[in-house]
Amino acid sequence: MKAAVFHGPKQPLSIEEIQIDEPREHEVLVRTVATGVCHSDLHFVEGLWPHPTPAVLGHEAAGIVERVGSEVTYLKAGDHVISCPSVFCGRCKQCNSGHPYRCTNRPAVRRAKGDKPRLSKNGVMIRQFSDLSTYAEMMLLHENALVKIRDDMPLDRAALIGCGVTTGVGAALNTARVEPGSTVAVFGAGGIGLSAIQGARIAGAAMIIAVDMFEHKLATAKRFGATHTVDASSTDPVEAIQKLTDGGVDYSFEAIGLKKAAEQCFDALAPGGTATVIGMIPVGQKVEIDGPKLLTERRIQGSLMGSNRFRIDMPRYIDFYLQGRLNLDDMISRRGRLEDVNEAFRAMKAGEVSRTVLMFD
Amino acid sequence: MKAAVFYGPKQPLVIEDVEIDKPLDREVLVRTVASGVCHSDLHFVDGYYTFPAPAVLGHEAAGIVEEVGKAVDYVKPGDHVIACLSVFCGYCDDCMSGHPNRCTNRAATQRRKGDKPRLSLKGQPMRQFADLSTYAEKMLVHENALVKIGNDMPLDRAALIGCGVTTGVGAVLNTARIEPGSTVAVFGCGGVGLAAIQGARIAGARMIIAVDQFESKLALARRLGATHTVDASHTDAVKAIRELASPGQPSEPVVAGLGVSGGVDYSFEAVGLKKLAEECFDCIKPGGTATIIGMIPVGQKVELDGPKFLTERKIQGTNMGSNRFRIDMQRYIDFYQQGRLNLDDMITRRGKLPDVNEAFRAMKAGEVARTVLMFD
Repeated sequence: MKAAVFHGPKQPLSIEEIQIDEPREHEVLVRTVATGVCHSDLHFVEGLWPHPTPAVLGHEAAGIVERVGSEVTYLKAGDHVISCPSVFCGRCKQCNSGHPYRCTNRPAVRRAKGDKPRLSKNGVMIRQFSDLSTYAEMMLLHENALVKIRDDMPLDRAALIGCGVTTGVGAALNTARVEPGSTVAVFGAGGIGLSAIQGARIAGAAMIIAVDMFEHKLATAKRFGATHTVDASSTDPVEAIQKLTDGGVDYSFEAIGLKKAAEQCFDALAPGGTATVIGMIPVGQKVEIDGPKLLTERRIQGSLMGSNRFRIDMPRYIDFYLQGRLNLDDMISRRGRLEDVNEAFRAMKAGEVSRTVLMFD
Repeated sequence: MKAAVFYGPKQPLVIEDVEIDKPLDREVLVRTVASGVCHSDLHFVDGYYTFPAPAVLGHEAAGIVEEVGKAVDYVKPGDHVIACLSVFCGYCDDCMSGHPNRCTNRAATQRRKGDKPRLSLKGQPMRQFADLSTYAEKMLVHENALVKIGNDMPLDRAALIGCGVTTGVGAVLNTARIEPGSTVAVFGCGGVGLAAIQGARIAGARMIIAVDQFESKLALARRLGATHTVDASHTDAVKAIRELASPGQPSEPVVAGLGVSGGVDYSFEAVGLKKLAEECFDCIKPGGTATIIGMIPVGQKVELDGPKFLTERKIQGTNMGSNRFRIDMQRYIDFYQQGRLNLDDMITRRGKLPDVNEAFRAMKAGEVARTVLMFD
């Protein structure tokens, strides 16, 4: 099958013919129908986060089950599915206490070391990224990486739910638990930020302030539910937010992965407010927060994959979409083919798109 | 009346005769019976935080009501009370949403600018510290600075509840809301840290790790509920905590480069040091919560490892134990009287008002958990 292979940081992915194994016991072979190009893949391509090579990146996809392993009962061939990086063992302490996305027992959902690898090329193992590797025509994964979805959900929009939408909406609904009537600021109006804005709107936030450096992204943010916008290229966002809210917001979200934006998120809070950092801050960077501000019960927390229990959350997000409460249509800026993946990274870096979705036949 | 007057940072307090006014409308005049000497006063004396001089410091006291203003109906002369610096207006957004400790309308509980001052020195107006000023024979405060308590509660131990105990126990019960069975680390075993340890025990923590540089304080921590202790004077506290809380925990990063995953569910910083706040964040496990109780000096930044946020670690501040003090303090008194909150051993020394400077010295030297100044 064809896949986009990562050979190391700062090199374009190369489209190659690679081999994928047959599903064993709890594994499922899925035909990829659509995969989103997400910013966290770019972090690895740019070398801000390390990953062993060669590997197939991509972690946001939807598709149709082709074949299942002997022990799989949750799915059958023909089922529509979304894959999720939050593969869970289902029996560690985190899984048992309602946090399957923090599963500490990931080896349980992989093949053992020394086994035949799921992906390979000419006998050489190719690493799976996030135990998924969606930039490929087929995916071989553990059944606990999948949620079954209704057949009337378009798979290109379903793909977005696989990571970006779940991360952003979930940060607002699950991690921060935004209440009706509260005030919210979202730093970054890319795919994740727009999802956080939509999450805040679904939760009933009274004021949703979008912050970005690009005027056209702020215009998009308004269409997705932002009530106010701040152009950080010409304004101090903390001052602007404090002015709009008379002293700071109840909830702020960092949806880029920048140390400076994380610090501004904390500074933009009202006493007692909560800043949630969604973006992946580069390894080795420290977020510096003002010590005395802690005395007024401000809080800063991380969020991983929208604190999802994805088999519960994703069908909800699909319902929201089909009810017209979650706009996914406008989040897809472009559609492309597998070969367009490097161009999609470029367009993302240039701030031209909120999401490119790669389509397979 | 006699009071200990602050004339500026890095100078000892001076015992002077200070004039105190009569209570107006909602004000109450309280005869101070006992006042604890708390670390946060020392922050001002040391100049880490600023406060206009001259002023009377002190913010942890209990006493007996002498006289009330005409609009006061909550207390009457003879009532035993604890004073709390979380004076609340009762009608701002924070007060109305269950956070009176964050009242944004303190002006409503103070005298107006230009009014006769509550305290004056040789005819010149003086600042009240935290709207209380407890290093004095009497206190003139708004009634919303007081909680009425039973006459059977000893007032020296009640005084501790006024700030240190409420701050430490409340950080655990109200701010962090730890669950039974959880694992906890507390950095600093002074009055506030010991109170946090006791809060963790009351809440049912399964493992309570006390961290300090003084062996004598760790011994007291064990007596008050710590199940394990770490002497940070010669041990890497973060490493020791991880080994205690997650023995043999394999290093299983969620993403390559994220580091080890072990640690405690909850950690508390009860000193006010940037370095300890950072260690507090580093010693929690994925999904864990670090709560910073200590007052970190103005201008200092706490530096947090960015990628650790990806594993949902959380760091938060706490103010006065997130108290609703009229609710919480009576509960803490009940805990004391039931033998579940040890206040007796938290009072290391008793003294008189002129001993306040010696109490600061002993605190800095790590010799005491708490000195309580007694008035006749």
